[in-house]
Amino acid sequence: MGNFQMSDDLLGGDVRVLRVAGDVDFDVAPQFKRRISGLIEAGDRQLVVDLSAVEFIDSTAIGVLVGAIRRMRAAGGSLVVVCDNEDVQAIFEAVGLENVIPLHHSHQDAFAALAVTA
Amino acid sequence: MRSLRLPSPPEQADRAAVAEGFEPVDLRLPARPAELKRARDCVATAAADFGFARKAAYELVFAVNEAVTNAIKHGSPDQDGTIRLSIDAEDDSLVCSIQDAGPFIPPSKKHEPVSVESGRGFAFMSALTDEFELLVRPAATVVRLRKLRPALVPSA
Repeated sequence: MGNFQMSDDLLGGDVRVLRVAGDVDFDVAPQFKRRISGLIEAGDRQLVVDLSAVEFIDSTAIGVLVGAIRRMRAAGGSLVVVCDNEDVQAIFEAVGLENVIPLHHSHQDAFAALAVTA
Repeated sequence: MRSLRLPSPPEQADRAAVAEGFEPVDLRLPARPAELKRARDCVATAAADFGFARKAAYELVFAVNEAVTNAIKHGSPDQDGTIRLSIDAEDDSLVCSIQDAGPFIPPSKKHEPVSVESGRGFAFMSALTDEFELLVRPAATVVRLRKLRPALVPSA
């Protein structure tokens, strides 16, 4: 399990920020999925997933994000991802994922994207 | 005049140092998700010892993690409940082999777009390494990943 951690806060009334830290791999992907699904089911429709403190993310965890973005869209909401880790950005670019999951470099950019896509 | 054509002495010294630091790895990992971290740490150490820059090392760690995940998820451990990870130096490359004792189960034949939730592992492995090979035997599946060490840039 290692150093994987999650915490969330409600900001400005209706924007939920889920902060993820450590290594997000096949071992912890089920927990990650349950947490995001739980937030969507509980009614959150503006969700920022903050991966800034993530050291490693694997394809299983990326799949969780892809699924959550779809589910949120189907529910009429919006999910955006913040990540300023250049290693993770390079991995996304290597397989053309940056178009599927845009990685915002700051909270400011992510909030702006929420306002546009919501 | 002749000495001008030779690599600068500091560069030669660096190469010798990294070659000496690297030790081949032959690891048996219990086929459990909780062991993935150990596999990643092991590849990160080997890559650093071999003289990989940070970005190349991260790419190799990512690719090997995908292969080990597949072996744990879809493969079969051997009699001891383990899968095998080996890391060897071949000229200017690191070659990582991930072996399980099960037959290869091909991913869905359907051509899925990149937006699906799973099945992206092979795309990552081939995008992030210089050579990606799948060796399928009756009682073993081996993924072989080769990554070239980028040429050392002499400090100006």
